Amino acid sequence: MTDTLAGSDPIPCEPDLDENGVDLAQIREMLDLTPAERMLVIENLADSIARIRKLNEPRAVR
Amino acid sequence: MNRARYAELLHRLAANDVEFIVVGMMAGVLRGAPLLTADLDLVHRRSAENVSRLLAVLTELDATYRHDPRRLRPAESHLMSPGHQLLATTYGDLDCLGTVGDGQSYEDLLGRAPALEIGDGLVARVIDLPTLIELKEKAGRPKDLAALPVLRATLAETLRRS
Repeated sequence: MTDTLAGSDPIPCEPDLDENGVDLAQIREMLDLTPAERMLVIENLADSIARIRKLNEPRAVR
Repeated sequence: MNRARYAELLHRLAANDVEFIVVGMMAGVLRGAPLLTADLDLVHRRSAENVSRLLAVLTELDATYRHDPRRLRPAESHLMSPGHQLLATTYGDLDCLGTVGDGQSYEDLLGRAPALEIGDGLVARVIDLPTLIELKEKAGRPKDLAALPVLRATLAETLRRS
């Protein structure tokens, strides 16, 4: 990893993954939120996905 | 698909004294799992009075069967059944489930769904992580199995914190 970094750049920590590849940092972040905030995360994600789908819908040819 | 407003949806149900338990991926999210879901699943009490209150909210929210081109609306008989009513509402997709797993009803799940304070005065029963994991294991579909590592890791971290 150090080969690809410029001389004095700090080396990032290894990701904190469990044996299944689950990112434990994401779990800790979610657990630090209130239930209302967790729900808001999902609402925003669902809205973003819906918006992207809408943008990529096939358009009618005139 | 309408803009997702799951918290508002729960507020409407609670304000109308609908008895329900949040299950599915949203229960996992509310309990802290970083999962993505595009609907809200709930198991409702199938008493005549509760179904009537639920139907009143669904009517307010313009609920229709989301896979039915006739835009069919749910009726009391549908909601009294143990089956799954997959609906689209003005606040996002909502699945009203008569039972889950191997026929578990609202009453069966009640002891495994502690009340959770969600915010703005809203308190709702949300299935606990061990039961959600159990239901996903029994369901055994690829989408359920895919969520299990995240749910199990969330349960482990929750237990570590408590």
